[in-house]
Amino acid sequence: MTQENEAKDEWEPKIIGFLCNWCSYTGADLAGTSRLQYPPNIRIIKVMCSGRVNPQFILKAFQEGADGILVSGCHPGDCHYIEGNYHARRKLTLLMDLLDYMGVDSKRFQMSWVSASEGQKFAEVVTTFTNQIKEMGPQTKLRGVK
Amino acid sequence: MIDFKALEAEIKATAKKWLESGEVKFVIGYEKSPESPIARPFFAHTPEDTEKLYWGPDCINNLTLYLVEEMKKKPKKGQPPFTHAVGIVVKPCDSRTIVELMKEHMVPRERVKIIGVISEESINPDKLYLALKNVPASQRRNIRFHDAGENFRITYQGGELSVPKKELEADKCKVCVVHKAVIADVFVGTGEIEFKPDDFSDIKELEEMSEEERWKYWEQQMSRCVRCYACRDACPLCYCEECVFDREKPYRWVEKSVQVRENSFYHLVRAMHLAGRCIDCGECQRVCPMEIPIRQLNRFLIKKAKDRFKVFSGMNAEEKPMFGTYDLDDPGEEIK
Repeated sequence: MTQENEAKDEWEPKIIGFLCNWCSYTGADLAGTSRLQYPPNIRIIKVMCSGRVNPQFILKAFQEGADGILVSGCHPGDCHYIEGNYHARRKLTLLMDLLDYMGVDSKRFQMSWVSASEGQKFAEVVTTFTNQIKEMGPQTKLRGVK
Repeated sequence: MIDFKALEAEIKATAKKWLESGEVKFVIGYEKSPESPIARPFFAHTPEDTEKLYWGPDCINNLTLYLVEEMKKKPKKGQPPFTHAVGIVVKPCDSRTIVELMKEHMVPRERVKIIGVISEESINPDKLYLALKNVPASQRRNIRFHDAGENFRITYQGGELSVPKKELEADKCKVCVVHKAVIADVFVGTGEIEFKPDDFSDIKELEEMSEEERWKYWEQQMSRCVRCYACRDACPLCYCEECVFDREKPYRWVEKSVQVRENSFYHLVRAMHLAGRCIDCGECQRVCPMEIPIRQLNRFLIKKAKDRFKVFSGMNAEEKPMFGTYDLDDPGEEIK
C-alpha cells in the first residue's frame, strides 16, 4: 500500500469489463478495428450474455482489487437470448442499490447498453468511466485494505 | 383480548383430528418446556403427542424451516417419491414463507396442511429476559402468558408480573402488514385481514446518512461477524442443497478468514439471494450471536423490490419469483 501511496500520480485504475458476446464484445472489437483510442485500463471478460453476470462476480471482482466494473450488454429488446438483458437489469440495478446502501460507492459499478455497431459509444463509455474512476481513487472498502 | 388457552385447545383438536385420520404424517408445532421462558419447536407424531402442543406470544420460531427439511428428503433409489403430507402451525408471517416456498415449487400445496393462527404479535426473547431480570432464576419456570389488554400478565413459579405489550413486542411485529395467515386449511382464532402500511421508517435513518457514515456503520457491523452461518441455517428460504459459501470446487467464493472483506461479501450475497423472497420473519437476526442488524439489509431490499419492481413477496403463490421474471418497463435509468 505504501508503494501505491508514493506512486499516486502513476496509479492507474483497474477496471473489469463484463461484455456480452453478441453486442458489446463485438462493439469493443469494432472500436479496435476502427482504431479508436480508449484507455487500456479495462480488462475485458467475455460472457455469453449480460444475464450471465451473477452479482457474486461483481462483488468478487471488487474484493480481488478491481477499482471499477463495467457490465455491458445488448440494448433492451435486442438480446440474442431474447430476455437475458432484462434479467440482468433487474438483478444488477438492485445490486447497485444495495452497494450504495452499504456505503460502497455504487458509481464504481456501471452498466451500459452497447450494440455491435456502437464502437464509438464503447470507446466513449470506457473513456468517461476510466476518468471517473481515476478521480475517485483506489477502491479500498470491499478489498479490505486501509 | 386473546385467550391463548382457547387457541391452544383449537390447535390441539385440529392436530389430533389430522393425526387420527392419518391425513398428515406429523404436525409441526410448539411446546413449552418448564425450564425455558420461550416455546420451542415440537413434532407431534401420534394423537397423544398433541397434548403437548402449546400456543402463546412466545412462539417465535419460524417452523417452516422444518417443513422444507421434510420436503427435501428423497426416497431410496427405486422407491416411489414421498407423497405424505405434513401439518404445521403458522403465525401470519410464517404463512408467507409457505407461499414463497410454493412459488419456488419447494412445497407442493397438497403436501402441507396448515393451521393458521390469527395472532397479534410475538415477543422479543431478549426483551423478555430483560423483563424477567428481577425474578430469581430458580423461579423462572412454567412461564405462561395471559392477555390483559395493554399488558401481558406473565405467571411463573410462585408469582406473576405485568409487562406492557409494547415493551415486549418484537421489532418485526412493529412493521408487520399481515395479521391473518395468507394461506391456511384451518384458521384458529378470530379476526379479519388488516393491513397497516409499512413506511420503512426503521431504515430511514440509515438511508439518510452520508455514504462514508453508512460505510463506517456497516464496516463496524461486518467486523463483528464471526461467520457462524447461523443466519443462513435459520432461514427457511436458504434451502440450497449445496450452499455457495460451502463450496470448494470449482471455485472457492469466500475464504474462511473472518475479515471485513469476506464478511461483507457473505452478507451482500446472502442479502441478494433473498432479494424479492425474504418475508422478514426476522429469524436471521434473532439467531445472530453477535447481534448484527441483518434485518436492515433485508428490509432495504424489500423496500427496493417494492419501489422498483412492485414486488411484495409471500402474498400470492400464483406469481413468479422476482428474479425469474421481468417487466419490459423495469426502471433502468442508471444504465447509460
